[in-house]
Amino acid sequence: MNASIGAVVRVLIVDDHPGFRAQARALLVAAGYEVVGEAADGESGVRVARDLSPDVVLLDIHLPDITGFEVVQRVGGGPGRPAIVLISSRDASDYGRRIERSGARGFIAKAELSARTLAAVIEGTGP
Amino acid sequence: MTKRRWGLFALGITLLGWVIGGEWVSIHALVPENHFIDALPGLSFLVAGIVALDRRPGNCIGWLMIAYVVVSYLGNWGNLQVPVVPAIGGSIGQQLGGAILAHMGLSYPTGRLRTRFERAVIGIIYGVSSVASLVILLAFDPRADGCARCAWELAPFPSRTAVLTANLVAQRLGFILVLLFLAAVWLRWRRATPAERRELAPLWVAVCVVCVVDLMGAFASPFPVVQPFAYLVWELQSLLYVSLPIIFLWGLLSARLARSAVGDLVIQLDRPLPPGELRACLARALVDPPLEVLYARDGLDGWVDAGGQPRSLPEPASGPRTKTVTVVERGGQALAALIHDPALDQGLVQAAAAAAGMAIANERLQAEVRAQLEEVRASRQRIVEAGDAERRRVERNIHDGAQQRMATLALSLAMLRDRAASDPAMAASLDQAAAELRQAIAELRELARGIHPAILTEEGLPAAVEALADRSALPVRVLADFDERLPWPIEATAYFVVAESLANVTKYARASGARVELSRCNGTLRVAVTDNGVGGADATRGSGLRGLEDRVCAVRGSFRVDNPPDGGTRVLAEIPCDA
Repeated sequence: MNASIGAVVRVLIVDDHPGFRAQARALLVAAGYEVVGEAADGESGVRVARDLSPDVVLLDIHLPDITGFEVVQRVGGGPGRPAIVLISSRDASDYGRRIERSGARGFIAKAELSARTLAAVIEGTGP
Repeated sequence: MTKRRWGLFALGITLLGWVIGGEWVSIHALVPENHFIDALPGLSFLVAGIVALDRRPGNCIGWLMIAYVVVSYLGNWGNLQVPVVPAIGGSIGQQLGGAILAHMGLSYPTGRLRTRFERAVIGIIYGVSSVASLVILLAFDPRADGCARCAWELAPFPSRTAVLTANLVAQRLGFILVLLFLAAVWLRWRRATPAERRELAPLWVAVCVVCVVDLMGAFASPFPVVQPFAYLVWELQSLLYVSLPIIFLWGLLSARLARSAVGDLVIQLDRPLPPGELRACLARALVDPPLEVLYARDGLDGWVDAGGQPRSLPEPASGPRTKTVTVVERGGQALAALIHDPALDQGLVQAAAAAAGMAIANERLQAEVRAQLEEVRASRQRIVEAGDAERRRVERNIHDGAQQRMATLALSLAMLRDRAASDPAMAASLDQAAAELRQAIAELRELARGIHPAILTEEGLPAAVEALADRSALPVRVLADFDERLPWPIEATAYFVVAESLANVTKYARASGARVELSRCNGTLRVAVTDNGVGGADATRGSGLRGLEDRVCAVRGSFRVDNPPDGGTRVLAEIPCDA
């Protein structure tokens, strides 16, 4: 993650549901995050993530073209790369160990998304 | 006796006269040779030719034998010393005999030349012999050879040099023609099927005999009486030629000998046969191990094997190794098709099929039943798979529709809740609404999971069963000895066996724990769910277990419910992984 302590965290939202993206953006902005961009599918998510270099990518697992897991592989979650937080309307148990093997920072069920849960996942104390 | 046999009898008598008469002419012309030995090959070819024409009327080898007799003894009639005859006898008699023998050899045993190469070889041999005959016919003047009584001859261009040259050229070319003939025989052997090779064995014997005879001929003299050794060789030659037609005839009639095997077949079929045994019996009787038997579908345009599996007949003959199809009919209706070696005698195949008629009809009925059972099973599998596909579609729709909207709604409520922090009553109402929504989301998620478990698609069977165990109200231990993915119908079937069994354990077994074992062995997936409850489960009662059994059978699996004496219940499903 590129953000230094105290700096505004820059977030990219990748989700194919416009209504969810709008609500997530409003929720995160209200909590002090900076939403630098949005993408509606996996390919454009990879491209925008490389162009904008966000601190955090909020990434839906089920996208219309490629899966969120493939986006994680291509964007990467290592040093100097954005922290990727997977989201889904399904539960984490529906994916078994695939989430922990994916290289993403963590997972949040969409209905549980909030500034608090996101911060906990980013800091490594979340669900 | 039939008219045809009377005709053959008359032909035989005529040819007998031709051979004996020729020898009589030779005796009166004081030809220095053993006339009895000279007549023997002709008589041998004559008898064999007549028998072959009688037993194999559609086969031209009989006619070739007759032609050989006629041509070979023209030379003897040439001693008649009447106009024209000596020239014809000397030319045609000397040249065409070998060509006819070669034709007989390459067309053995069917009487047909099969390949373009064989036809070309025989065509060249006839061509060379005919040209040599024509030259001799036009140039041979027997008066120059001492035939004082030959008052008039055909030879318009009498030339001893031309006759000797034609004979010499024919001899030299003969060497090449023999090589071509041997090449054609070798090619036939190389391309032949095992059954054909068995049939070709007499041909090889005949070829060896001819080679030995011709080799001996190299030592022989045109005037054998003046060279005792050469004369002895000539006598041996004649005796060996006697064996040639016998060898050919034996080969032609060997199919008739094989018919005794059909008698054995009748005895073998006089008992109930296990499925597929009829094919083995027919293969043994016809000495064609790869023989196949297909059965016609009742009222349908198609064929099945003894196991009821759909099969198609091979394409019509397109090459030397193409199989031959003999359709067995009863009352104009096709019963079965025998797919066999093309070298088999058609009459023998028909005889075997007739002998096995009742057994074929019985096995066809069994194959029909098996085919129908297979169709029902495949139909059941398609229904199950269509149901699974529909469940996946419904789960996907729930995920893409209601679950997404409810997640978005949860975010909206959370934002409203944050803004209503200064209004406790509003905050409480929003908290209650959010709690209700969370409950609804959880219930919908559980419902979707029951319709189709997403983890099964995502992670495969062992992970999905682990997730089931995690959510179970009882402690469940999962033992899986593989991690790889299996075909979707297999994974889905195994998953629902475990899910339904664990649900039953929770509801009825009063158990304190359960164990799920997933293992693969010899291409079969074994799923066992064991509990330590009160037992008493019965697969014949209750729609849940019966539904599982139907589902497992639909993918060719087996399903069993055991109640061990020491308590508990074990549900066991075994599913072939290639189902």
